[in-house]
Amino acid sequence: MKRRLVIPGEEVAEGSIILGHGVYRDGEKIYSSILGLLDLNENRVRVIPMTGKYLPKVGDYVIGEIIGNPMPTAWEANIHSPYDALLNASDYYSEIEPFSILLSKIMPPGKMIYALIREITPTKRIYITLRAIGTHPLTGGRIINISPAKVPRVIGKKRSMINMIRKLTGCRVLVGQNGLVWIKGELKAENLVEKVIMTIESEAHTSGLTDRIEEMIEREIK
Amino acid sequence: MKVGEPEEFIIDGKRLDGRAPDELRPIKIEAGVLERADGSCYLEWGGNKVLAACYGPREIHPKHEARSDRAALRTYYRMAPFSVNDRKRPGPDRRSVELSKVIRNTLESVVFLHLFPMTAIDVYIEVLQAQAGTRCAGITAASVAIADAGIPMKELIPSCASGKIDGKVVVDLFDTEDNYGEADVPVAIIPRTGEIALLQMDGNLTQEEFEEALNLAVKGCKDVYEKQKEALMKRYGGE
Repeated sequence: MKRRLVIPGEEVAEGSIILGHGVYRDGEKIYSSILGLLDLNENRVRVIPMTGKYLPKVGDYVIGEIIGNPMPTAWEANIHSPYDALLNASDYYSEIEPFSILLSKIMPPGKMIYALIREITPTKRIYITLRAIGTHPLTGGRIINISPAKVPRVIGKKRSMINMIRKLTGCRVLVGQNGLVWIKGELKAENLVEKVIMTIESEAHTSGLTDRIEEMIEREIK
Repeated sequence: MKVGEPEEFIIDGKRLDGRAPDELRPIKIEAGVLERADGSCYLEWGGNKVLAACYGPREIHPKHEARSDRAALRTYYRMAPFSVNDRKRPGPDRRSVELSKVIRNTLESVVFLHLFPMTAIDVYIEVLQAQAGTRCAGITAASVAIADAGIPMKELIPSCASGKIDGKVVVDLFDTEDNYGEADVPVAIIPRTGEIALLQMDGNLTQEEFEEALNLAVKGCKDVYEKQKEALMKRYGGE
């Protein structure tokens, strides 16, 4: 099904209906508040954004970069969102004693991490953790940056796209919900994955993408 | 009569640049022209050439400008030194600061700032070439840039001016008319509700003339709005 492109202020629905992301109600009618693709069924209306910054959600896996000088018991990380994230020392290792060791010795500025958003306070302080399943600091490999709006396409339905890329290229690939992608593998395979992800980003709006990407990878590998 | 002032502004029902009294200058809008901005827009409106860039929501610096309940919208209107006939001295001056504030107030009425507390949304408006009506061009371009950045907003804001020359109310003044004309009324509206987001008046109009000028400008705004929609649709491949 082809979704309609809507712009801010365009009428998308009316009456009693559940409002999802990117819409607002004014009286009886419902209007889009962002530029994106309209997703409307009888219960719910939302607009899937075409562009925009990543807004953190509890439970999201993100890729971040340690920035600045660490505080005595916490690191600060740039997760490419409007807010910087905090990584408490206790969210990495339980045995770190405050002031016993310089945190920058463990993870210096510039270190990339794959972390989980643990908590967002009402004052928009964002706490991430490295003690959740699957999270870890990233060593080696490369980072590429895509639009957060395109992340669902890179992962695919039931992770089909990303699993296919991993299987065919043998690379380790991690996709953060914030639009950063970490690739690690052999140089040639890394180049291929980078190219593939860029293709997915630019063709995210087309259908049958997984099959076409599979063909593309198989063609390139030969 | 001042130097350069034309004797007549309307000859045979046509204005000095050949337009009818209710005709806008040609408008060209392109969204997403800057690679490194979150959202951007290039606008040509007759002889006006304006580039708008939007960054954000992003971390706010200096921190004391942060608001705990909403984002701080910061607009910077700037005229390039080469944008006008006599070189404009670079740097902020009274006019730029005032226009930045006026444009910020206009945009604040549509952007959903409460969704991004403690952040900044920065909008830069660069006037590369000016031919009167740059605040309207700036607002028009800025609202396209904000939509292009994916920031939630009530609606796009189009803007258009009207004025009075030779005792007659006309729409969208160009520089000669603006400099030697009798009045200038820039207007910005929220098209769906018809609310007025910006209304200024420079010069003298009677009440009837003012109402006529306002109606003309609102009509102009609606034409501009169509161009804004077109530009965004074109950028993202809609029909």
